[in-house]
Amino acid sequence: MSKKDIMGEIAKANSSVIKGVDKSEIKHWANIYIMGQRYEVPADLTIMQAMEYAGFRFIHSCGCRAGFCGACSTIYRLKGDYRLKTAMACQTRVEEGMFLVQLPFSPAVKPRWNIEKTGYEDGAFLAYFPEIARCVSCNTCTKACPQDLQVMDYIQAALRGDFKKVSELSFDCIQCGMCAVRCPAEIVHYHVAQFGREMYGRYGYPRNAVLDKRVSDIKKGVYDKEFKDLVKKNKDELVKIYKDQLANKDKFIKGG
Amino acid sequence: MGEEYKLIGGYPKSMRESIKKVEATRSKRLKTSVPAMSLAARDDVLNLCHPDYHKEGKRALKIGVNKGDLAPSEVADLIEAHPLIDTRSVDLKKIDIDTDILIIGGGLAGTSAALLANDNGIPVERILLVNKLRHGDSNSIMAQGGTQVADSKEDSPPIHFIDALGGGHFTNKPDVLKALVSEAPVALQWMTGLGVLFDRMEDGDFVRLPGGGTSRKRMHACKDYTGMEELRVLRDEFRNRKIPCLEFNPVVELLTDPGTGKVTGAVLWEMETGEYKIVRSRITILATGGFGRLHIRGFPTTNHYGATNDGVVLAYRTGAKLRDTDTVQYHPTGAAYPQQIVGLLLTEKLRSMGGQPVNVNGDAFVYPLEPRDVEASAFIKECYVNGLGVDTPTGMKGVWLDTPLIDLIKGKGAIENSFPGMVRMFKRFGIDMIKDPVLVFPTLHYQNGGVETDPEGRTNIEGLLVAGEVSGGVHGKNRLMGNSTLDCIVFGRISGATAAEYIKKHKENGDLSFKHLERYGKELKEAGIKTERRAPILLPEYRGKAVLQRILDIF
Amino acid sequence: MKKIGYYPGCTLKTKAKIFEKTALYTAEKLGYEFIELPNWNCCGAVFSLSSDDLIHHLAPIRNLVRVQDMKEGAFLSEETLVTLCSMCFNTLKRANIRYKNSAEDRSKIKNIMDTESAYQGNVSVLHFLELFKSIEPGSVKLKRKLKGLKVFVYYGCTLLRPKEASLDDAEAPVILERYVETFGAEALSTPFSRLCCGSYQTVNAREKVVELAYKILTSAIESGADAVITACPLCFFNLKDIQNEICAAYPDFKGIPVAYFTELSAYALGMDPGEWDEEPGFIKTALAQTGEKKIKR
Repeated sequence: MSKKDIMGEIAKANSSVIKGVDKSEIKHWANIYIMGQRYEVPADLTIMQAMEYAGFRFIHSCGCRAGFCGACSTIYRLKGDYRLKTAMACQTRVEEGMFLVQLPFSPAVKPRWNIEKTGYEDGAFLAYFPEIARCVSCNTCTKACPQDLQVMDYIQAALRGDFKKVSELSFDCIQCGMCAVRCPAEIVHYHVAQFGREMYGRYGYPRNAVLDKRVSDIKKGVYDKEFKDLVKKNKDELVKIYKDQLANKDKFIKGG
Repeated sequence: MGEEYKLIGGYPKSMRESIKKVEATRSKRLKTSVPAMSLAARDDVLNLCHPDYHKEGKRALKIGVNKGDLAPSEVADLIEAHPLIDTRSVDLKKIDIDTDILIIGGGLAGTSAALLANDNGIPVERILLVNKLRHGDSNSIMAQGGTQVADSKEDSPPIHFIDALGGGHFTNKPDVLKALVSEAPVALQWMTGLGVLFDRMEDGDFVRLPGGGTSRKRMHACKDYTGMEELRVLRDEFRNRKIPCLEFNPVVELLTDPGTGKVTGAVLWEMETGEYKIVRSRITILATGGFGRLHIRGFPTTNHYGATNDGVVLAYRTGAKLRDTDTVQYHPTGAAYPQQIVGLLLTEKLRSMGGQPVNVNGDAFVYPLEPRDVEASAFIKECYVNGLGVDTPTGMKGVWLDTPLIDLIKGKGAIENSFPGMVRMFKRFGIDMIKDPVLVFPTLHYQNGGVETDPEGRTNIEGLLVAGEVSGGVHGKNRLMGNSTLDCIVFGRISGATAAEYIKKHKENGDLSFKHLERYGKELKEAGIKTERRAPILLPEYRGKAVLQRILDIF
Repeated sequence: MKKIGYYPGCTLKTKAKIFEKTALYTAEKLGYEFIELPNWNCCGAVFSLSSDDLIHHLAPIRNLVRVQDMKEGAFLSEETLVTLCSMCFNTLKRANIRYKNSAEDRSKIKNIMDTESAYQGNVSVLHFLELFKSIEPGSVKLKRKLKGLKVFVYYGCTLLRPKEASLDDAEAPVILERYVETFGAEALSTPFSRLCCGSYQTVNAREKVVELAYKILTSAIESGADAVITACPLCFFNLKDIQNEICAAYPDFKGIPVAYFTELSAYALGMDPGEWDEEPGFIKTALAQTGEKKIKR
């Protein structure tokens, strides 16, 4: 295959993903209901892709398109099922008979804190979030979480001041707001979690002496001379240093 | 609705057969690995298979400071385009917002800049952060693998410097790179002080991993949600300080002083209502990120929805100099299957922890941790030259990333603990990456070049600073893993501090004008460019063809 | 060592750490490994939002489901959950009884919990005291002798009421007395041992609680006790932490040390008081009152 053909072949193979498929090529269809209106869409698409196929152009409800940002919160029901389900539109394939709406925003008030001045103590959560005492352990938040986190458990851990547990259980939170929207006690879970993680990140570990030393060395100019010499070197000399460094890397990164 | 193929554990039968071969060679591969390439061998595979080395996808810019420089055609198209707005319908006399520091873009770079400007004495009400989408909708939040910081005893900023320089093919701006590696430990100390939860060992020390092209263990990760964790903490600090922030208000044009040409403000356009706002600023920090959504050369991308090269387009019109526009970073391991997630990032950390690329026959064919461009080229070569790729039902090709090896090497539970995001994503589509390999192919990942910066975040245009992916110079023609979040945080911080110093010294405001656009329009005309194209594009167009053909624009 | 599911309750993790530390120490010395449920929620006692009755039972039942899950996963030797706080004990046990006895409630709770695993009704809820009720005094090897120490046992109400949830004869319990004697001290009780301390009234009717606590503690002092022991963090607060308020209201009140029953056992088994309390008032005062020479190491 010639050089030119390689790139042409790749572009051709990718084209359905980037430019969309032709109607004639679609073999499987699904009916979905966007805010009550029926649309027939290709069954292989995510909710987000399907809505775009149907003609919606996102301003809200679309961010990273990869499951990290929490912008595309979607709630839906399936025909014949009373359960109200939640999903990230970019990470969920459409299903026949899906009735859906997107929630681009969840109204939430965030208390302000100063990480320097907040005490790392049992009662800190309740001081900023007195409403967590209203948790009745109904577990609706957990069932609403599209990341499958144990949301109610971390609120319970917050009630007893367990920063570590809050951090571990909430770490994968994408702050989509579904928990807060569904909570009968009107807790804004993801802010509670954010507070807990920051406090644990700041106070849960001893200060790293090696890092502190490195920072103070840099400020003292310990590496200035080495850099001065490096910057003066010509490309060949730099290539040699680089090669040597690469050649010796195994003894430093083994067991990586 | 039916399935075209009966899927077994998320894969069709044809792919299952190849997985059997991968399983058969796994125990043997556990003990042996393909050695790293020599520099000469790297050059060979880059020349043969890297999209950047295929010149037909690029063209020389016909106008502006970088006239004659090569850029991908998709980028050149945006540079050789008319403004998005009709300047005659914009009233510059009424200033809606008057601020000292305007920051455009709310990823890690923009957010860090705001915090440091405030730390350096600028009151919060004299700072404004504007976002095209929400604060935090950015490539930063999607960064998975880690942040490089030379903080261990066996490592040092100069060693980090050499790794990044070699990875960038010795094209990096040395003074800017020096600032990056020297400020890295400071940035790490700052983030942990604000509460960023980096992976730690039992004794509290950082977990450090190697990355592609690093000669030390230097990668500081937060499971596979590194960027998200860093960003949500910095953004929360930003909110605790009540720094003013506008969302869904992209900048559609910069404003310049007609006399000096310095940047003096910007035109915002509220996406929901269509209303414009005039912002006057004494200094502007451009932190708009990259261009993945341009789908250079038809590649899928790891980038977020708003990664459309806006910053480069806007800055170039004011006369800002670009560099390294000819190179694009393709991440070797984008998802190639299933179709719903094609192009999405599978972090390099999967390979740092022992995941191996293998071909359709289950054979390892490349050292897993080459620099990204080399690794990506090797995958393309295996698929399109050697013909040993795996075919997907939609006609894409890919190679296996043998993820089950990670648990064999690091112990049961390692994948689940280190890559909860990845495991979750594949599980949603029926694939268990703890038991089965996943299919990968290079994906458009990073804009290596951009608006040329100096070590202080300054450009050649007064009043315009840059930070993060929109800038060019620090990574040269190829960036190493873990240096992008670092770039954003370090140069976000630096540009914020530089802006604060500038404000203290410059008390006067400039005038607001579109004069730079007049010059730009003239250049377009003189270069004989006749086009309907308008830029920036703000968002990509993914609506279905059938619908687009029948849209009536009447409301 | 026998592994047993352990439910601490919220207060033991915050205000009543003393209680937990001493109890865990005691249990370990007596051959039990307490496995704390990895995830547990409030026992259900304090739910401020619950105006209907069933939601009140979701939380306790979910905790029992988690015991069931742990037994299935072979993390526990038996489907038993032990708790320390008498309020948690009361709430969990009552929910358990109700779930086992009422088919209607069972089906309603299952419906509300929906996709969560269903509780089979096989978990026994035990109070810590019940674990050791058959131990014979003299059979436990003690490091320290408490001979001569007179201890007033205070049950309060939630260990004994309602009757079907009681851990002993609701009218004439002896379980705390036996516990005290097992660890070498002398147990004293009066009808005031079972008088309510006023419980949560301490929040909005403190004067009533002061009055009740005065009666209870005076009865203890008049019976000749050196100290009072209890099994409940709330009783502990009402009897101990507001003694200065009792003094103010009743000038004749002299004051008496109050402790968790587990402090007594931990001390007798060899735990250094400094390990559980920076100022171990109970032991110090008790020793002073009984005369240090009576207690031999």
